[in-house]
Amino acid sequence: MANLALPAFPLDNRRFVGLLFLAPALIYILLLVGFPFLLAIAFGFSDVTVGNTDLSFVGLRNFEAVWENDIFRQVFETTIRFTLISQVFILLFANILAIIFTQEFTGKWFARFIFILPWATPVSLAMIGWLWMLDTKYSPIDYLLLQTGFLGPGGLLSKDRNLFWLASPDLAQISVIFVQVWRMTPLATVILMAGLSSIPTDILDQAEVDGSRFMRTLLQIKLPLILPIMVIALLFSMITMFGDMTVVYVLTRGGPVDYTRVLGLYSFQVGIEGGNLAQGAAISLFAFPLLLAMAIFMLRTASRAEVR
Amino acid sequence: MSLVQISSLKKYFDTVHAVDGVDLEIEQGEFLVILGPSGCGKTTLMRMIAGLEKPTAGQISIGGADVTALPPRKRGVSMVFQSYALYPHMNVFNNIAFPLRAQRREKKYNKRSIREKVETTAGLLEIDMLLDRRPRQLSGGQRQRVAIARAMVTQPAVLLLDEPLSNLDAKLRANARDELKDFQRSSNITAVFVTHDQIEAMGLGDRIVVMSEGKIQQIGTPQQIYDDPANEFVATFLGSPSMNMLSSNHFKFGFRPEHFLPKTLNDNPENARIFHYYVKRVEYLGSDRLVYGYVQGRESELTLAKVPSNVRVSLDVESDYEFAVHNSDLKFFDARSGLRIAEQNLAEAL
Repeated sequence: MANLALPAFPLDNRRFVGLLFLAPALIYILLLVGFPFLLAIAFGFSDVTVGNTDLSFVGLRNFEAVWENDIFRQVFETTIRFTLISQVFILLFANILAIIFTQEFTGKWFARFIFILPWATPVSLAMIGWLWMLDTKYSPIDYLLLQTGFLGPGGLLSKDRNLFWLASPDLAQISVIFVQVWRMTPLATVILMAGLSSIPTDILDQAEVDGSRFMRTLLQIKLPLILPIMVIALLFSMITMFGDMTVVYVLTRGGPVDYTRVLGLYSFQVGIEGGNLAQGAAISLFAFPLLLAMAIFMLRTASRAEVR
Repeated sequence: MSLVQISSLKKYFDTVHAVDGVDLEIEQGEFLVILGPSGCGKTTLMRMIAGLEKPTAGQISIGGADVTALPPRKRGVSMVFQSYALYPHMNVFNNIAFPLRAQRREKKYNKRSIREKVETTAGLLEIDMLLDRRPRQLSGGQRQRVAIARAMVTQPAVLLLDEPLSNLDAKLRANARDELKDFQRSSNITAVFVTHDQIEAMGLGDRIVVMSEGKIQQIGTPQQIYDDPANEFVATFLGSPSMNMLSSNHFKFGFRPEHFLPKTLNDNPENARIFHYYVKRVEYLGSDRLVYGYVQGRESELTLAKVPSNVRVSLDVESDYEFAVHNSDLKFFDARSGLRIAEQNLAEAL
């Protein structure tokens, strides 16, 4: 209760203090999310370029041009395909690893630590590492395969001395998906581990006394109970991956030809490197309604699956 | 031979001796209550019987077979947890059917026999109209019945219950206690019931095992435990308010507040011990008057008396009275070990 005899002090005002605490988050969202988003919309409906930054309204012209563009369509399709394929593997591996890491075994702490590293490493740094691993001439993987007789003259995989991880269309796509899975699995695993350890021990003890063995407990008790959390993990990694450009930018620049070109990279290449800000903005905005619908759908699924 | 035999059972968690050498035999069809304060090892003992905890040493056999190294599903036991541990994503039918399905191969259940068993058990516990509901749509009492149905549906040799009534509100609890006892009687199942609530223990148990600090203090019928405590711990743990305990030279002696009555009410004064009692405060509790005061010469130890309201003796505060305890109601304990000692020779020494 404020003392009426004293002059009003701003920190006594609940609304003011509340706003003060919210301010850092609000400023961050407005400045670094809200403003760029509105700017992208403004750019998308204008004819702005790097050379001419006047915003004059041109309606849907950019979006029509982008949609007519064959490269864009292919990029859009590639992005969806990469995202979906990698999510399947991420979910599979994250589930298996989360189950392993919630069991008791010696060296668990160290195994967890090693495992979390891909996620803790800065993306660009990790990608430079992979760039070396997958190098066309000096790839250590190729070297090992060569030494073991899988490559080279008379080799099982190829007569050549190299597999061209990032240069052949099929392998480049597989490599990009593999690296994405490698990068995203740790986070999904950590989220699932949190879910698994939040299951009350009483429930698991009960299942054991009821005679349930490992697989039944896993499939009928544990997985259904962490379903909502699994959906959140999936949503997280899907949205991150859908908008990502770093991986392909470092590894392939979208090549060979357009085989690994994804939306984030294409938007960057057209808008920044090509100087056509308006078209670049329009390209990235195509992802927005799709991601929004996906997010709404998954969050509703999660809250419906929520029991308790 | 007893259904369950437990010998020199121990469970150490690092330096904590949760269960420290327990020997216990449980008879077929009996309702055994394990009673003790929290942290006394009663839940750990039960979890070892269930097979959820591996003993540090000792042996457990059920139905003549050594089960010490066997997992829970090979022991023929089932369990009801304090939280009921219902599977929140399954309806009541699937909850009850879960143990049957988990053991369908060993026990050769099929879809039809599972349905029949679930429905019969649900009918027995009067929850057959709830089979389609989810646990969160049930009241506390209904959840408890579902948990018991799930534990009973496999017809286990031993039913283990870990404080299953403590989540119910007080009104429901007395009723649930009565129903549980009826159910155990009619199904003739062997039940082991863990609790820290002495009223539950007294009301339900054919026999009570009193535990403290990982050890069994006494095993006996509710009456034996209450009237004939083996040591100071059992004497003071049971009864509300607890037994008055006064120190003498080399021993302590105790008497229950309800045995400590005004001398005028005593019909056999030759066999009673008389105390000069200063009444400090009187609480009127409806059926009883709870009297707080001091025995002359022992003013450092608060002594309580519980006088029935229907005896017409006026008790004024800050006044002196003569109170008496029947000799047979005086219990003597060794001052150091706390063990009960024979009364005759000590009664004189008072």
